[in-house]
Formats: sequence, C-alpha cells, structure tokens
Amino acid sequence: MTNAKPVIKVEHLQKKFGSNEVLKDINAQVNEGQVICLIGPSGAGKSTFLRCLNLLDQPSSGKVIFEDKELTALSEDQLDKLRERMGMVFQQFNLFPHMSIIENIKLAPMKVKGLSDSDAKAKGLELLDQVGLADKADAFPTSLSGGQQQRVAIARALAMDPEVMLFDEPTSALDPEMVGEVLKVMQDLAQKGMTMVVVTHEMGFAKNVADEVWFMADGYIQEKAAPQQFFAQPQTPRAQDFLARVLEA
Amino acid sequence: MKKPWKLLETLLIAVLMLTLLPQTAAADKGQTEQRTDNYLRKVRQKGELVMGTSPDYPPYEFVKNINGKSKIVGMDVEVGEKIAHDMGVKLVVRSMDFDSLLVGLETGKVDMVIAGMNATPKRAQSVAFSQPYYRSEQKLLIRTEDKGKYHNYKSFAGKSIGAQTGSMQATMLKKQAKNVKLKTMDKDNDLVLGLKTHKVDAVSVDKATAEAFAQNTDGIMVIPAGLKTESSATSVAFHKGANSLVKSANKSIAEIKQKDLINKKYLPQAGKYLTSGKTKKEVKASNSMWAYKDFFIAGVGYTLFISAISVFFGFLLGAILAFMRLGHNQIARSIATAYVEFIRGTPLMVQLLFVYFGLGLVINIPALLSGIIAVSLNSAAYVAEVIRSGINSIAVGQTEASRSLGLSRTATMRYVIMPQAMKNIWPALGNEFVSLIKESSIVSVIGVKDLIYQSRVVQADTYRGVMPLVITMILYFIITFGLSSLMKVIERKMNHD
Ligand SMILES: Nc1ncnc2c1ncn2[C@@H]1O[C@H](COP(=O)(O)OP(=O)(O)O)[C@@H](O)[C@H]1O
Ligand SMILES: [Mg+2]
Repeated sequence: MTNAKPVIKVEHLQKKFGSNEVLKDINAQVNEGQVICLIGPSGAGKSTFLRCLNLLDQPSSGKVIFEDKELTALSEDQLDKLRERMGMVFQQFNLFPHMSIIENIKLAPMKVKGLSDSDAKAKGLELLDQVGLADKADAFPTSLSGGQQQRVAIARALAMDPEVMLFDEPTSALDPEMVGEVLKVMQDLAQKGMTMVVVTHEMGFAKNVADEVWFMADGYIQEKAAPQQFFAQPQTPRAQDFLARVLEA
Repeated sequence: MKKPWKLLETLLIAVLMLTLLPQTAAADKGQTEQRTDNYLRKVRQKGELVMGTSPDYPPYEFVKNINGKSKIVGMDVEVGEKIAHDMGVKLVVRSMDFDSLLVGLETGKVDMVIAGMNATPKRAQSVAFSQPYYRSEQKLLIRTEDKGKYHNYKSFAGKSIGAQTGSMQATMLKKQAKNVKLKTMDKDNDLVLGLKTHKVDAVSVDKATAEAFAQNTDGIMVIPAGLKTESSATSVAFHKGANSLVKSANKSIAEIKQKDLINKKYLPQAGKYLTSGKTKKEVKASNSMWAYKDFFIAGVGYTLFISAISVFFGFLLGAILAFMRLGHNQIARSIATAYVEFIRGTPLMVQLLFVYFGLGLVINIPALLSGIIAVSLNSAAYVAEVIRSGINSIAVGQTEASRSLGLSRTATMRYVIMPQAMKNIWPALGNEFVSLIKESSIVSVIGVKDLIYQSRVVQADTYRGVMPLVITMILYFIITFGLSSLMKVIERKMNHD
C-alpha cells in the first residue's frame, strides 16, 4: 500500500455554502486501483466532497491534487481537460433525454476528444455490451428502466477513459430489484482495476468490494479503515451509532 | 379644433425626464439662438423647409392616392408651399401623430407645423405662432332627414352632439351648450359614422371639415353652429425664437389673405383632391376598399418589414442579454437585468417617442428607423426572458453531467442545454413574435406608414370608419396566424428529430 501511486490527494479541504460550513477539514488520498466507499448520514457532505474532487463545486479553501496538478489553481480550460479524466455517475442518472443511448455515449468522445463518429460509435457499442445493453443503442433514455439508465450513465462516463470514477449514490433512486444489476457492473469495474470513489448506502457492496471505507460526519472524515475492521469494530461513537441504525433497518 | 396640449404634456414630461441632460443643453442652445436667430439662414442652407402635419384631417391635410403614389395634400400643404416658395426653398412634408407635432418642432424634427392648429395661449408658451392664415367658422353636421328640425346648437336640448375628444369644439360645447349631451370620440370619421347610425344627433366641426364631409357623404348636411367662438384662427407654429421664420411666414400669409387665396385657390384645390371632380356616385365607387388596395399592400409591406427586422435584432440582442444574465460576470449580469426590468417596466409608446424625439436631439434618426430601433430594443427584453426561463427550466443535473464529461461551459450550452431548452423557448418565442407584430402598430404614431397608419389614411380619405378597420384586422390576423402556424410546423419538425 505504501508505495502505491496516489491518484487524488485532498489537503485541508474546506467548503462553505454561505455561513454553512459543510466540509471542515478533509485530508485524504486515493491510490491507483483503490475502491473507496464513502458512507455517512444524509447531509454529512458526501456529495459535496465528491463534487469538490472534480470541482463541480469550488472548494472554499484547501487543495485537491489530481495527477500532480493542484486543481483549485487551474483555469477553466485546464479544468475541463482534467474533468474528462474523472468520470462521474449521479443518483439521478442525468442522461441527455434528447439523444439516443449511443448519442449520449458518443457526445463527449467526439466533442471533447475529437474522435470520429465511427470510432466513437464502435467504442460506445463495446461499452454498452460491457454493461449488457448492446441492444438498446438506438433507444431513448425515457424508454429505459432506472437500472438500465444508470448502466448507460456508467458506460457514458467510461467512454472518456477516466483515471478514476466517482459514484454519488448510484443505486439510491432505483427500485430494489434493479440495484443488483448496477452493483454488478460496478463490481466488474472494480475487478478490472478501476480506481473508484463510491458514495453508497449499500453496506454489502462496501463490505465486499471496498478496499477502504471512509466514514464521514459533521464535516470531517471520522474514520478510514478496511471494511472488515470498520464494520466489526467502528472506533468513533458517531460511526457506531450510524452503523447500529443502518444495519437494523 | 384638434386634440390640444394635455396628452402632449405628459409625453413631453416623460421625454424630458429621460433626456434631462441633452434637453438642458438644447435649451441653452435655444437661448443663444434667440439672440442671433439664424433659423432662416439654416433653412436656406438646407434648401428645404420641413413641415410637420397630421394628414387625417381633410380638407386641411390628408393623404391622396395620386397616380399610384400616396401624397399628403390639402389646404395647409398649399399654405406651406407658399411659405416655402417665398423663402426660396423646397417644401418637405413630414407626417406625424397630431399629439407629437409640437414635440417634433421642439426637437428639430420639423421646422414648422401647419396642421389646422389654433394658436392657444397655452401652446404659445412653448412655440412661436405666425399670424392666423385662416379663420374658420363653427358648423354642425346633421342628418338630412332632420332638415328644418334643428337650426343651431340651441335646438339640441336633451339631444346629443358629438365632438372630437379634447377638441376646441368639445370645450365650447361644454361651456356654452349646458343642456346638450356631449359625446366625444377620437376621430371625426367615427363621429360622422355615429351621426349616420343615430348614436349622436349632430357633429360639431369647423366649416372646412363640415363641407368636406357633407360633399362626400350621403344623408348629411351642414347647419350653422351658433357657438360663440373665442379663438378659431389657425396659425403656423415655429420653434420658439425662430423669429426670422415667423416674419417671413407672416409676409406670405399677408399675401394669402389679401388675395383671398385660401377660398379662391387652396380650398377648391383641396376639394378637387377630395372628390376628384366626380359626382357623388363616382366618389362612392372610388371609395370602395378595392380602390385603396395599394394603401393596404403598402401598409402590410411596412408592417412586415418592421416586424421582420425587429424580430431579427430583437432575437439577437435578446439572446445576448439572456446569456449575460445567466453568465458569471457580475457587471454584465447587472446591466442585462437592469435593461430587461427597465424595458419591461415602461410602455413601448414612451420608448418609441424617446428614441424618435429624445435621441433625436443628439442624432437625427428617421421615423422608420426609430420605429425599428424601439420595437427591437423592446422585444429584446421579452425575448431575453423567454430564453432565460427556457434555459433555467432544464434540470441542473444535465449541466453537471455534461461538465463532468469534460464538455466546456459553451459546449454544454450548445449540445446539451439549448436543444432541450429550445422546446420550451420556441412556442414562447412564437407568442412573442406575434405580439411584436401587433405592437409594432404603435410606430404609426410617429408617421411610419404601417398598416394602422394606412387604415387611418383610408378612413380619412373615404369617410368610412368601419370598413378599413375590418380589412386591417383581417390583414393583421392573416399575418399573425400565418406566423404562428409556421412556428408550429417548425416546432413539430423539431420534436421529430
Ligand atoms: N449548492 C448548495 N447550496 C447551499 N447548500 C448546499 C448546497 N449543496 C449542499 N448544500 C448543503 O450542504 C450540506 C451537505 O449536503 P450534501 O453534500 O448533499 O450531503 P450528503 O450528500 O452527505 O447527503 C447540506 O446541509 C446541504 O443543505
Ligand atoms: Mg448526497
């Protein structure tokens, strides 16, 4: 672990919305190939943290270092270049409803990377096959189930060959019977060595797939531990309390 | 006689407030000019004398279709020709709403106003009047069937007499004919129509007007009014302090009076234009709406021209304003917000008058261009709001997803947000364009020859109140319905892609 290559480093990250200090002092590191599961009560700032990693939200102070570049110091153009290297998957899927599935996937490779239409399409079809939706290429998002939409969203993010994938509660908006198909895709991805930061309430996924579990509450990461250790012996009262409530539900 | 000062005053105040600085500067200039007074010299330098008038008032001034071209003619134009001729320059006649004439004079759009205008003391405070060139008598128009029943205004106890809103006749009737019911309307045409349809029992007008109507309308006749007149003398108005022009005009007027040119030459000439030397029957035939098709065609042309250009620039500027409001530059945002709020919070009428008269103090903008500028600037504010709310209606998640894929702000707008927003924007934009076409009709106030203007001209020319309006309404409807149908076709195409 110690000589693993760091992909993202976060130093003294602070984020305020007006006077509401959501993230107080976050220090963390994500190494190449690592799967991090970020858990914590609702409103803890998990989404905000994730959005600060690719600067969809501007940190109030502190540093986010990605590929040896300090993101908060970059210009808008440079940021666009780095954002494509961090895939993001949202709770609400956020597919573009006016485009077919394949067009959703082709858009960024063509407009950002300058891929030709045929190259982008070939790549898109391959990724759709990978998430089990090869037959849906020409369908429109509204005709797909939530689980299918989320798998397309994952394929769309992967089309940019990201260095790291950020997931913000990817299964929270899904009907229970569809959670499994999405988690399966994520698990496959992890097995292929993708670096991932996953905000989730799926404790089973965290236990089985995560290399590290981070527990966030009150604006801090309260605990970082291997999943077995975290679920067996949470150190802080905040985490004990949280786990007691989640596991009983 | 015609609508006096009151409306003008309010407009002037608005224009004054908006152009406080340039106005003050102009006032200073006015004072220095009064001492030296080089008005006449300037007119001679230009080689032309610009006369402002409101040509919906036969036989004083009205528009006539001469060899397929519409021309402003009438007794006042003859007077203007004489004055210009005596100065050794060419006469240029510029048409404006009556209420705008004196503002036009003060802001230098015209050199003089001849519009059947009485030299009232109130008006004399802001402009310089010549000697009166015509003294009119007061008459009443009645239905021929009532011949012998009425002799003058005193016969109308308990009956109703119509007069133009705010006119001298209305004021006189209110003061002198206490037991008569006074009904006022905006246009003499409507009053005559009211007379024929028994809405009023008489119409109070001056002699020249009365004769013109009686000669061209079946079933009405002229009787004396019997009203005591105070000031019924019509004069030429000049810029205050333009004494050299007044002096020259007075010389011409003295000659007009001495030779009785008005009664011997100008009025008969105007009457000839009115009737074209035809019998009543022939007049009626030439007053059929078909004979005026060129007027309506020209009106539609102007209305479409103004609307098309204004839609284009309104959309362009509106889009820029919308993106200024949505952008991250605080200054641009404030400017755009202030602009939109200000334009939406003030009437288009005032904006139009401001562009034409207010900005006219700084640079001289022709009426048509002023109309296009005002309508474009106005429309831009509404278009900006349509675009902005269309864009804001797209869920923020769409932007986030796009940005997280590495698309720039611009690319996100272009490929992700706008295609979705257009589906909301397009129908609203269609509504906005339809209302632009309708509201563009306001440019007729400053004499732009659009559809409304032409319908007024046809009304005045044919003495028919309703038919030109019906045709105008139908034409507007065809234009707006055509546009909204076109927008719907495009919308359907858009939804299929
Ligand atoms: N754009 C924003 N403006 C203001 N407050 C925000 C914004 N986004 C999040 N917050 C606040 O930050 C806190 C943390 O939100 P979030 O990061 O979404 O929590 P979590 O994802 O852990 O549930 C909440 O109190 C929320 O109200
Ligand atoms: Mg969240």
